[in-house]
Amino acid sequence: MSSISNSTSAFFERTLGQMGGLRQSVEKLQAEIATGERISRGSDDPIGASRLRALSRIEARGRIEAENAQRLGQDLSAASKEIESVSAILQRVRELAIAAGNDPLGETGREAIALEVEQLGEELFTRSNARSLTGLPLFSGTLSDAAYARDGAGNVTYQGNGQSGAVPVGPATEVERGLPGPQVFEFEMGGVPSSAFAVVSGLAAALRGGVADPAAAARDAVGGIDIAIDTVNRSQTVIGTRLAWVESIQIDQSDREIDIARQRSDIGDTDIADAIVRLQQAMTALEATQAGFARVSSLTLFDAI
Amino acid sequence: MMPTDIITIGSSGARASRASIEITAQNIANASNPDYARRRLNTGELVGSAIIDFQVSSAFSGVRIGGVQRADSELFQLRVRDSGSDVARADGELLGLTNAETALEQSRVYDRLVAFEASLTLLESDPTDPALRTGTIETAKQLAQTFRFADDSMESTRSSLATEIEARAFDVNAAAQELAQVNRELVSAREGSGGRAALLDARDAALRDLSQEIGIAVQFDEFGTATVEVDGAPPLTLVDGAVASTFAATVNPDSTVTLSVDGSVGAANTGAMAGRISALSQIAALADELDAIATSTITRANAAQASGSALDGSAGQPLFSGTQAGDMTVVLNDGAGLAVAIAGAPAGSRDTANLGNFIAAIGADDGPIAATDRALLSLSSRISGLDITRQGLSIINDSAMADLLAETGVDLDAEAADLIRLQQAFEANSRVIQVATSLFDTILGLR
Repeated sequence: MSSISNSTSAFFERTLGQMGGLRQSVEKLQAEIATGERISRGSDDPIGASRLRALSRIEARGRIEAENAQRLGQDLSAASKEIESVSAILQRVRELAIAAGNDPLGETGREAIALEVEQLGEELFTRSNARSLTGLPLFSGTLSDAAYARDGAGNVTYQGNGQSGAVPVGPATEVERGLPGPQVFEFEMGGVPSSAFAVVSGLAAALRGGVADPAAAARDAVGGIDIAIDTVNRSQTVIGTRLAWVESIQIDQSDREIDIARQRSDIGDTDIADAIVRLQQAMTALEATQAGFARVSSLTLFDAI
Repeated sequence: MMPTDIITIGSSGARASRASIEITAQNIANASNPDYARRRLNTGELVGSAIIDFQVSSAFSGVRIGGVQRADSELFQLRVRDSGSDVARADGELLGLTNAETALEQSRVYDRLVAFEASLTLLESDPTDPALRTGTIETAKQLAQTFRFADDSMESTRSSLATEIEARAFDVNAAAQELAQVNRELVSAREGSGGRAALLDARDAALRDLSQEIGIAVQFDEFGTATVEVDGAPPLTLVDGAVASTFAATVNPDSTVTLSVDGSVGAANTGAMAGRISALSQIAALADELDAIATSTITRANAAQASGSALDGSAGQPLFSGTQAGDMTVVLNDGAGLAVAIAGAPAGSRDTANLGNFIAAIGADDGPIAATDRALLSLSSRISGLDITRQGLSIINDSAMADLLAETGVDLDAEAADLIRLQQAFEANSRVIQVATSLFDTILGLR
């Protein structure tokens, strides 16, 4: 027979192929809904998968940066508190210097003031070696030894370095960790380098009778103390600005985190409503194909024989 | 004209109907046999004629049963074979590459590299913290292990594919030998016999099997025997008449494959074998790429270590040993040895300049993270493109298959109609015999 027939096995093969295709798409949709992920392997959507990888990297970095920002915030607030105390100490020293500048104050009075100034100097020294929550010195730059050391003669010297080290808290954003001691405690007075320690200990020594006219020396010391207070206030401003910066970065970070999550979801997540509708559609088609197949395949001439 | 003639005509008709019913039954029985091409019985009118005394005289003698005719279409067979080879090639390549993709994605090299980068960034926040330093060393160890695992997975994907390539050569040889056997028998099979039709079925099935494995070019001679050449340059004769040559696929150490027939080297353009060979070379290239990524990670890390100083102020020692993915190991076991500070920094320095440079080197556009992303992207794009090609090819193959089945397949409705027709013909023929008998009886009854 040379005529073309409608081969029975071709019909079965065709129907089988169609049902197989429908089943496959039903299964894929079902997997998408069950896992919530549109892309189960890279080849499902190569560009999308690559973007997801990039986003997961940004996300991982973002988590670390948020942690870094939090640590940095802690360090900066600790430094800020210490500087505040230093400022209070210097204010008190200034008051005492003014009190000691009064000529009528007797030697015993000045002695008492000298004692308090010495104590305040001690506290100032301790504050300058303050440590952060993690036990690292706040004012020694990037070194981990105590920031200031005092020799036998009572001279305080800086042992750290001039770097403050920076912490990455965002893409291409680094914030300096703290302030090296010299920026807080040291300054120039009349072109000569001096420090808060020198001013305070100088005042104490003068009050103890180190000079001929202690009252005049105390009055002169007020100028030095003022410069020390100015220096401390300036560094307080710097730290405060950085703290504010870190806070705004933290807000940025949480915004960015939401943004990344949204992008991730746009690229990689299953659109549930869409998937369910498409699943329903595919299932309807599959059921119809199956029912149709059952009807058509039962139509055979053999029933009539 | 004798009533016996009528009986002869009737009985020949009944015989022909019965034989046709036999063929129809055979068709129905083989309706679901994919290798079977439907048959039909050829019949011809039988007229005896003689010239007696210059007078032509003829006598009707009923119907003659001819040979078994097998529905066939060389063109559609060719299309099915060729498109089948193309689909098999795409399938073979796709399967190999998908396995490689799974190996590379599941080993999570990218994720571990990102985690390593993140732990380095975290270290920047508190560079002297021993916990963070230990954490970084542990992440580096996981990274090295991940590289080794990825290398292992790639190697096992590669070697299982190589084994399959060599093993499938046996399938090619088996099909070629079967074809040679069929060729030998076809030469002696009688035209129109059922045996010949069955041999032709076997021939076409063997050719289809062969074309799945390896693309072939086929030529038929007058007996229907097939001469098969491997479709490639240079073309190698695989089966010639009753002789099947030995096909061999040898995987070389560099993951190229040498195909040969009786020792002469050739190539295959299509078929599953060609797809697997292509996948194998791509997997080997991918393994090289993975090695390059590992090497770049190792050299960048060790270069960074060399340009910095450890927590105790000493010069940084190498972090990783090894030169590729398979032998990458962490040799720096103490977190304090991480050279976070720039060279020359004193002990206990919280300087992070060197660490910053290292992070930049790891995350650079030509660094390992970007290279891993590129490798994954190009592999999955290749697979996705190949999948689309395969879908297109399989549509072509399906339509060729449908055409072939329409040409040669069994239509049960048509067979059922034939069955009714032939049954009626058989009954009609027996009526003819009955009529002839009663005619004969009538004549014998004359007194």
